[in-house]
Amino acid sequence: MNMLQVEDLSITYRSDPPVYAVDGVSFAVEAGGAMALIGESGSGKSTVARSLLGLVDRADLGGRIVFDGDELQALGPDRWRDYRWGRIGLVFQSTTALNPVLRIGLQLTEPLVEGDGMSAASAEARARAVIDLVGLDADVYDRHPGELSGGRRRLALLAIALVRDPELLVLDEPTAGLDPVTRNDVLALLRRLRAERSLLVLTHDIDALDGLVDHVGVLYRGRLIETGAVDDVLTRPRHPYTWGLLNAHPRLRNVKDLRGIRGRPPDNTEPIIGCGFVERCTQAVDACRTDDVTLQPVAAGTSTNGTGKVRHVACLRGGLVPVVRARGLHKVYTTGPALNRRRVVAVDDVDVEVYHGEVLGIVGANGAAKSTLGQLLLRLIDADGGTVEFDGDDLLSMKGARLKSARRRLQMLFQDPYEALSPRLRVGDCITEPLEVQGIGTATERRAAALDALDAVSLPATPEFLRRHTHELSGGQLQRVALARALVLEPVLLVADEPFEGLDPSEQAKMIQLLKSLQVERGMAMVLVSHDLAVTLRTADRIVVIDEGRIVEEASGPELLSAPQHPATRRLLSAAGAPAISGVASARIELSQP
Amino acid sequence: MTATSAPATATVTAPRAGSAGGTRRRLDSLTIGLAIVGLFVSAALLAPVLTPYRAFELAGRPIEPPSVEFPLGTNGVGNDILTQVVLGARSSLLIALLAGLGTLVVGATVGLVSGWRGGALDVVLMRFTDIVLALPRLPLLILMGVYLGPTLVNTALVISLVFWPPSARIVRSQVLSIRGRAHLRASVGFGAGTWFSLKRHVVPEVGLILIASLIASAGRAVMLEAGLAFLGLGDPSRVSWGRILRDALDFQALFFTDAWSWWLVPPIVALSLFLLGLTLVGIGFEQRANPRLSRHSEETGR
Amino acid sequence: MARQPEAAGERAAGAPLGRSSGGRVGHLTGVAALHVVTIFVLVSLVFFLPRALPGDPLNALLDPEVGGTFTAEARAELEAHYQLDRPIGEQYVGYLGRMLTLDFGWSISRQSPVSTLVAARLPWTLLLMGLALSFAGAISWIVGTTSAWRRGSKSDRGLVAAFTLARSVPDFAIATVLLVVFAVLVPVLPVAGNRTVFAQYTSIWQELGDVIAHLILPVSALTIGLLGSKFLLVRNSVIGSLGQEYMMLARAKGLPTRIQKYRHAGRNALLPFLTLLGVQFGFAVGGSIFVEEVFTYPGMGTLILDAVDTRDYPLLEALFLVLAATVLVANFAVDLIYTWLDPGVSAGTPS
Repeated sequence: MNMLQVEDLSITYRSDPPVYAVDGVSFAVEAGGAMALIGESGSGKSTVARSLLGLVDRADLGGRIVFDGDELQALGPDRWRDYRWGRIGLVFQSTTALNPVLRIGLQLTEPLVEGDGMSAASAEARARAVIDLVGLDADVYDRHPGELSGGRRRLALLAIALVRDPELLVLDEPTAGLDPVTRNDVLALLRRLRAERSLLVLTHDIDALDGLVDHVGVLYRGRLIETGAVDDVLTRPRHPYTWGLLNAHPRLRNVKDLRGIRGRPPDNTEPIIGCGFVERCTQAVDACRTDDVTLQPVAAGTSTNGTGKVRHVACLRGGLVPVVRARGLHKVYTTGPALNRRRVVAVDDVDVEVYHGEVLGIVGANGAAKSTLGQLLLRLIDADGGTVEFDGDDLLSMKGARLKSARRRLQMLFQDPYEALSPRLRVGDCITEPLEVQGIGTATERRAAALDALDAVSLPATPEFLRRHTHELSGGQLQRVALARALVLEPVLLVADEPFEGLDPSEQAKMIQLLKSLQVERGMAMVLVSHDLAVTLRTADRIVVIDEGRIVEEASGPELLSAPQHPATRRLLSAAGAPAISGVASARIELSQP
Repeated sequence: MTATSAPATATVTAPRAGSAGGTRRRLDSLTIGLAIVGLFVSAALLAPVLTPYRAFELAGRPIEPPSVEFPLGTNGVGNDILTQVVLGARSSLLIALLAGLGTLVVGATVGLVSGWRGGALDVVLMRFTDIVLALPRLPLLILMGVYLGPTLVNTALVISLVFWPPSARIVRSQVLSIRGRAHLRASVGFGAGTWFSLKRHVVPEVGLILIASLIASAGRAVMLEAGLAFLGLGDPSRVSWGRILRDALDFQALFFTDAWSWWLVPPIVALSLFLLGLTLVGIGFEQRANPRLSRHSEETGR
Repeated sequence: MARQPEAAGERAAGAPLGRSSGGRVGHLTGVAALHVVTIFVLVSLVFFLPRALPGDPLNALLDPEVGGTFTAEARAELEAHYQLDRPIGEQYVGYLGRMLTLDFGWSISRQSPVSTLVAARLPWTLLLMGLALSFAGAISWIVGTTSAWRRGSKSDRGLVAAFTLARSVPDFAIATVLLVVFAVLVPVLPVAGNRTVFAQYTSIWQELGDVIAHLILPVSALTIGLLGSKFLLVRNSVIGSLGQEYMMLARAKGLPTRIQKYRHAGRNALLPFLTLLGVQFGFAVGGSIFVEEVFTYPGMGTLILDAVDTRDYPLLEALFLVLAATVLVANFAVDLIYTWLDPGVSAGTPS
């Protein structure tokens, strides 16, 4: 039985311009259950929290809020008072919610005296018990808020919310602004509290949810865009926004550079048409701008994670989709003299996919067929078996115009720019070549596009530079020209094969940052083929380790670093200077294999 | 604490929803105020046209009731009351201008210097301000007025010397708040000097507050001048609304006839209306200077 | 005098004197020192003002219009009292000594010890202002809070308009209007003095009733004069509170409107408001000059005016010392109360 059922809740503040705070949100909290809504500031969290207690003023409300069978929206002011605090308690986010001129004791006892008609003495006893429960000192009862530290004020707000022992406790950013020690104390307390009541946690602190809630919903621009079991959502995000949010989240052991979600944060005063995330999404298609999206169950047979709670995602494309998906890839080289040919299996039954907007690192020792795999994904060399799908279509069977159009979206940055760029050509010719091939634009437009591309890769965007010969350039400049050439077609996937080889350290650092920022900004996916683990760990969202033509391990950077599974991985790590790691780590997160 | 610093001249308008209504009503308070003040300014300027008599001219018989000849009747010695009321506007406007500006100059200078320079000078100036603030102002005004001689200019001077602390405090707090802002620090970071910073950032921000403060000081000065004249301590060579009241109350037979109705009512109405006009203008400027006052903080979804 | 309190409020509304100095005892010491300086400045002003003008200070006092009261004898007595033949520094020290020992001397115009005169008048003014401030405070508190609570409503707008108007009318004008109304139109209340002249009271209750009847008009005029700015102050501070998050918590807690309004919204505005009232009480002695004058009420205000009129110098010195002392006592009491009650508000409130 659901204790709280929110159906299609919409809240628009009647300000000028109107603020679309909450838009069609539905969720439920079971009796004794715990749910979290996560989202950044402005996502509508606080508004949802306040609407549950009828505290939203000067706004148009739509939808239903049903608590224990009663429709709350329809309540008059008198009936509201029965629900406020007695049945639903709210822990405010800001300590300015404490009245500065009243003692904590009075602020604790007044709901008991006024709401339950309790005597002053028993109210005080109850208040003191709650102070003790949240771990505050007894003297807090006689203090004014100004005399308490920030952390203790937060605890006092929690105590106030608990004082009438509500059936549902709503917590608005319960950990914001707390130091790590206090934060852990608060979380431990909340975990104890959830044994006795339902919890609804609204937060952007993803780490706080561990062990605290069962289910989680992700709010973006007032809409729920993903729901599911907490472990499931937070380890295997399905919505591009959730994925981006988790990527932006700093973790202690993360060696990867943090990255924000591209584009600007949303403006709540604009009504949403189509999908609210479309402007920042890396996998948006035209329909995303026009068609309404609602939460849909993720395709059957995927994950239920044992909780029986099916994942829901509000994405026209059904959540994160791979830009390229390879299945059972095979590549065999035959070497040796004509009469004594040897078959060498270079790539052996490889399954791999690259998602929109992500960086996949392919690492392995020399001769592990990393480069071959990279080129197979782009169909730059033909596979001997298996399939490659590009955006759901079979890349290997494509012909003619369709193939040409696909090639435009798939680009390669080769290992050696000296080889990849013809020394006879001028810079301008190199960069406009893909456009000519694809028949895009007039000569003038191509020149303009070439200048833009030069600018994007931090090379001088001048006609003089366009006229220079490639053999006049340094290695670093040459690599940038190659990058500019790859980018000029605005690919959705770039396979970069050892792009930093042969660059001196400073040039390499700048190149890494450039490549990474271009990747985030343009929302393209990238496959980084490298034997350099240090570089890959910094750059890649996900890493596959390849050994003797097979994928032997797939993990995120931190996992790989802390708990390498395969001997080949460990060899790579120790060769890269990581201390020898023995044994198998206990808590591995399941590989992402949808 | 925000609540405590709310000025006494207050939000007339605090529209519940939407800002469109607020803008309209705010305009009203300033427009009405300006119209009222404008009425008195024109009366003072057009006095020779409006009335054929001079202030202390024995124009008719004593306590003549209103007639075509004397629209507001005559007083106890036969002066035309309309003439006195119209000319009284001159005294009030003059004191408003002189004492208002005087108070503002002293107050704004102390406030600017104190807030801008800070440090020991700020402490000294603010302690001095506290001291002046703790003086019993009205008795001091009366005493100083008596010693210096009761001319209008002297009254304005004394008012300026005694009543500047509120302006100084307002200006200082405003300057302090501007000083703390990043754009000013940025400007200093670009190498801007004191005068540039003051001109570009401080004065425009303080401007409206200064005007509101000027209006408040002017209103207070008008009230004080009328009060002094009412006590018989005003400039003996000038007509003043306070003095008309004084003369009326000093007239022994005032309440044995109907004379009070044409003698007492006009100066009270004139004085109150003029002060109301100034108050409304002040409110109008204050709301412009501090739009937060007039709009209740709107809750947005967080 | 309605304007004076407003200016005083400026100080109360900001913060008590010298709050920056740390520590409660240190703070109060600083406050006390400041008040002592204030009183010293005022007393010195009263000393130096007549002497700063050209000529014999007694000549400044000897206005031809009032010179009649000055006999040669009186003049000699005054000269002896003020030691006018001595150097100015010595005079000043002697003056300060007399002020310190409360030796005020003899009032020339009234032929009576100055201390007796002041003692006879002071209670009446304190009674007048005490009552007016209490009424104005209570009324503006209740009406202001209610008006703020219903901000934007018709009744709120009406009240704001009415009080803005009331604020624009000087209290002597209000007093004059009341005088007209009760002297001519409905002569039911006494309009002059503090009790009926030559009355023979049969009981203390009759006497009390007579005193109260005489108090009604002056107290009303003062109350109305004080109401306007106070109402707006209360309303503004309460409106400031209403936007705070703690008001939402109060509502979320399901508290009845009465508690939300007076305890949560009102309490925050109460402390500064009480401070303002306290500071205004400090100005009480000089604050009722106009109203006392209109109703010929025998208080300090009319005494000040008489002293100025007759240039009664010993009386003036004493009056200004009392004025300063009242301000000092009231301010110091306010600071004590504030320091006592202030729950570290500044630390707990967002800027």
